[in-house]
Amino acid sequence: MRLADRIAAVLLLAFGAGYALTAARSYTYWGAHGPGSGFFPFWLGVALAVLAALFLAAAVRQPDPGAAWLPDRRGAVRLGVVVGATALFIVLAPLLGMTLATALFLLGLLRFLEGHTWRVALGVSLTTAAVNWAIFTWWLSVPFPVGVLGF
Amino acid sequence: MDVFANLALGFSVALTPFNVFMAMVGVVVGTLIGALPGIGPVSGVALLLPLTFGMPPTSGIIVLAALYAGTMYGGTITSVLINTPGESASVVTCIDGYQMALQGRAGPALGMAALGSFAAGTVGVVLLMLMSPLLARWALSFGPPETFALMLLGLTTVTGLTGDHALKGYISMVLGLMLSMVGFDIISGDARYTGGIAEMLDGVDFLPVAIGLFGMGEVLAGAEEAGGEQILNARYGLRDVWPTAADWMRSRWAIARGTVLGFVVGVLPGAGPTIASFLAYTMEKKLSRHPEEFGHGAIEGVAGPESANNAASAGAMVPMLTLGIPGSATTAVMLGGLMMWGLRPGPLLFEKNPDFVWGLIASQYVANAMLLVLNIAFIPLFVRALRLPYSILMPLIIVFCITGAYSQSNKLWDVGQMLVFGVLGYGMKKLGYSPAALVLALVLGPLAERALRQSLIISDAGVLILFQRPIAAVLTTLALLAVAVPVVRAARRALGRRSPLPA
Repeated sequence: MRLADRIAAVLLLAFGAGYALTAARSYTYWGAHGPGSGFFPFWLGVALAVLAALFLAAAVRQPDPGAAWLPDRRGAVRLGVVVGATALFIVLAPLLGMTLATALFLLGLLRFLEGHTWRVALGVSLTTAAVNWAIFTWWLSVPFPVGVLGF
Repeated sequence: MDVFANLALGFSVALTPFNVFMAMVGVVVGTLIGALPGIGPVSGVALLLPLTFGMPPTSGIIVLAALYAGTMYGGTITSVLINTPGESASVVTCIDGYQMALQGRAGPALGMAALGSFAAGTVGVVLLMLMSPLLARWALSFGPPETFALMLLGLTTVTGLTGDHALKGYISMVLGLMLSMVGFDIISGDARYTGGIAEMLDGVDFLPVAIGLFGMGEVLAGAEEAGGEQILNARYGLRDVWPTAADWMRSRWAIARGTVLGFVVGVLPGAGPTIASFLAYTMEKKLSRHPEEFGHGAIEGVAGPESANNAASAGAMVPMLTLGIPGSATTAVMLGGLMMWGLRPGPLLFEKNPDFVWGLIASQYVANAMLLVLNIAFIPLFVRALRLPYSILMPLIIVFCITGAYSQSNKLWDVGQMLVFGVLGYGMKKLGYSPAALVLALVLGPLAERALRQSLIISDAGVLILFQRPIAAVLTTLALLAVAVPVVRAARRALGRRSPLPA
């Protein structure tokens, strides 16, 4: 945690400074009628930089390395799979259509990540995809992406 | 006072079949969300928000407010039966509630909590109804300096109280304000911080961020570890749930005190139901004639906090409706919803949209009555829902997050944003930052900027205008104190610990 705090503090300090600089350079700090588009962002950048500097000072003086916070190997894998599957969903939805992508997404996670039986995995994923379609496409007429298969 | 005329108008709105149905949906889904560990009121409101876009705003707020109230009831079930809080406002309920369940008194614990919640929720709505118009009338005189000072106070107090590290809280808040600057500046028309990406011109959308930080973020934190909890078995017939005379005697003052305390804490910007429930527990323990029973199944330890969190959820609506400043993380998300429906939260809401405000207030009475019946008579139903394993629930919540983020403007871009903020929310949670402060700042950012710039335009003394007008001066001073006190304390602690580093 202490190391994470130190790294975060440095990144935030740099981000705050960069943000304030961008505001000062690219946007108007003070226009003809008063504060311009750069005024508020400039001070936000300054505020973040000051807070991050205080935070860095505290983290550097912190003698206690703090509790471990990174997930263990199994946790990291599970996290990665969930995030990866969601990203894959975003890529595949325009090709397969929202409904099919939803069903496949659920099927994959339930069967392969959580180890449910094919029966449970198929049942839950098909039902959810159908209910989702009924609510959003049929009832609320949200235009879901339609895939090459036409739904 | 024309409270009664207004209330009559409110009931005429709230009792239309569609709105009664919506309140019903809200309380059932809310109780479920409250009961299921891993999702709480904030993610519940964020996830249901997209479904309200097709409805009139009044029906939309009725669902969300009913859901908020429902989560306060539902969280109790999990705390008592599994010793895991269903949501954060029921954390303290675990202490004595689970002990009662171990002693075979799960029924009375749940029954007393439901009855206390009903009393507190109803009184909370009465207070909300009486107080809001007065506050709104007072706030009508606010000019830009007062508005800015008020937002500053809202931001700083929320931030100071959430998260376990004051500096991290303020950093989260400033990051939220920074994000809210992305896109077109309303006053000058300049495009800011878009990185040349066309999608960014409209700014960082509130809904994908809220769904990401709360819904997806919580799911990711839960996904990391898989596992189930043991549910205690108990009997839930009406006779098993109804508290005994002795329970009543012990609980009635705890409920009364919890109600008053909870409402006051709820109204204060920044402190919501969670803090109210903790304070109520501490208070009951201090006032009790037998404090040694606390922690071993004292029913006051359930009745007090559970009443307080319901009163607080009603109280938190007061500043949201009258001032446009949310009193809790959940009302911050609701406030975002109000803006998306095209309403302007603040004192004018009472004059311009009376059917909205009074419909909401009336529907809260209806929702509380529904919740009482639901939580006395249908407990077994929710217990069965708790048996749904997290390994099935987790993928389902993600699908909800995806469709919710998508359906606002029908862009997969928003789903991507949701995922990015989901990962960010997971990291923030793990490292002790405050997603609630970030979301609040994202909502208030553009309003705060405009109020500040308008203040400076009319000012002849620069920023000092914030101290020249009495109301603004008081609010600004309070806001600065809210920042200074925890930061100075943290700094002193950091500097004081200058002891030599261990080798």
